[in-house]
Amino acid sequence: MGIRGRQQVHPVTEAAFQHARLQELVAPFADGELPREQKRAVEEHLRGCERCRCELALQRDLSRALAREPIPGASAGLRRRIEAMGGPTEDRIERAFPWNRRWASLALAAMALLAVAGTVLRVRHQASRPMAQIPVLRDALADCRRAMARNFPRKADLPALAEGLPFPIPVLDRPGVELFSTWKTTLAGSPGAGLAYRWRGIILVQYTVPIDLIRQQPGVGEALSRAGFYAASELGQGVVAVVAKGSGTVLIASAPPEELRRLIL
Amino acid sequence: MNAEARRACFQSTTLPYLDRLVALASRWSDGDQAEDYVQETYARAWTAFHQLRDTGAAFPWLCKILRTVANERRRTVARRRDLLFITELEAAHEEIIASDAPSPLENLLARLEAGTLREALRSIPEDLAEAVELHDLHGLKYREIAQVTSVPIGTVMSRISRGRQLLAGLLRLRDEEPARRVAMQGNGE
Repeated sequence: MGIRGRQQVHPVTEAAFQHARLQELVAPFADGELPREQKRAVEEHLRGCERCRCELALQRDLSRALAREPIPGASAGLRRRIEAMGGPTEDRIERAFPWNRRWASLALAAMALLAVAGTVLRVRHQASRPMAQIPVLRDALADCRRAMARNFPRKADLPALAEGLPFPIPVLDRPGVELFSTWKTTLAGSPGAGLAYRWRGIILVQYTVPIDLIRQQPGVGEALSRAGFYAASELGQGVVAVVAKGSGTVLIASAPPEELRRLIL
Repeated sequence: MNAEARRACFQSTTLPYLDRLVALASRWSDGDQAEDYVQETYARAWTAFHQLRDTGAAFPWLCKILRTVANERRRTVARRRDLLFITELEAAHEEIIASDAPSPLENLLARLEAGTLREALRSIPEDLAEAVELHDLHGLKYREIAQVTSVPIGTVMSRISRGRQLLAGLLRLRDEEPARRVAMQGNGE
C-alpha cells in the first residue's frame, strides 16, 4: 500500500509542531466540543492545512454515518420486567419466589402483561374513541416512541425546524420547561414538527401540525369546538391537543392530561 | 416522595434509555446475557435512584452502572472480532488523508449496509471503540464520556479522534479487499 501526497509535507519546524498539536483537536472541533479560543486556533489552522481539512471531513462523515446506525432494542420481556420493577407485584413475587429469580421474572412478566391488557381494555371501554383510531395522535405516539428509542436528535435547532413548514411553531416558554431537541416528521401524511423538553424530571414531547389537520381528526375536532382542547390518557401517557397561535399542537408526556393542558393554555 | 411517585419518576427517567443500554451491553455480550446485564443495571439504578441528582444526566449515569456490571461479570475483555494490526489501519488512514478528495469517505460510506459500521467498531481497540460508540451512537458529550469511563477529557478527545481514524482505515482495507483479491488472482498468486 503506497502513501502519497500530503503525508510528508510538514518539515520539523514551528509550523510542524503547531500542526501536530492542532491535528489532535480536529475531532473535538468537528464535534463542537472545543472552548472558543481553541476553536479559533483550529479554524485558523484549517485555512492553511489541506491535510487537516481532509481529516475534518473524515471525522464528520464517520460521526454522521455512525449516528444513523440502527441499534438493537430491548426484548418485550425485558421491558416488562423493568417496567414492573419496584412495583407491588415485584415485591410480592420476590417474597414468594426468593430462591429463583428467573421464575420470578417470568411470573412477573406474565402479571405485567395481564395488567397492561387490563388497562388497555379499561381505557378502551372508557374512551369514546381510542387514540389508535385518530391518525394524528396514532402517528404522534408512534413517532414519540421512535424518537425516545433513539434518545432524540441531539440538537434543538428551531430555525432549521421552521424552514419549509407552512405553519408557525409555538415553543413552550414556561419556567422549568427546557427545550433540548427538535426534528421534522410526518403525521397523518402531513409535515409536522417534533420538539422535546425536559420538564420536572420527565420528557415532554410536543408535535405541531397544520391547524386544519388537527381540526379534521375524528373526535378531536369536536372536542376543540366544544371545550377548546382535546385530552386523553392511555397506559399512563397523557395527551392533549389544542389549537394555538395558528397551529395545531399535541403534547405527550407521562403526566395527567390536566397538567399538560395547564402548560399550553 | 411516596413509593408510587418514586417508581413513576424512576420509570420516566430511565425507561427512555432501555434500548440504548441493550445496544451498549451488546458490546460485551450477546442476546440474553446482554439483557441480563441491563436488568441488573436497572435493579442497581432503582436501589441507588436517590443518588441521581440531575435526571437530565440519567443516561450517562446508567451507562456507568452498566459498565460496572459488565466489568464485574465478564472474564475476558469484550467480544473482539478479528482485531487487526493497528499499523495496517494507521497506514490505511494515512492513505485516505493523502487522497485529493475533499470528503474522502463519502462514497464508501454511502455504499455501506446498515449495521456495518457498528460491527466494524468491534475490530478496533476496545477503549477507542467505546468512546466513539458512546459519542456517535449514543450522543454522550465528551465530559459525560469522561465520567462514564473514568478518564480525563483529553483522553476522551484522543480516543474518539484515533478511534474514528482506525475505523476509517478499517473500512478502506475492507473496501479494497475484493479488488486486491482479483488483482492477486490476475497475477497468478
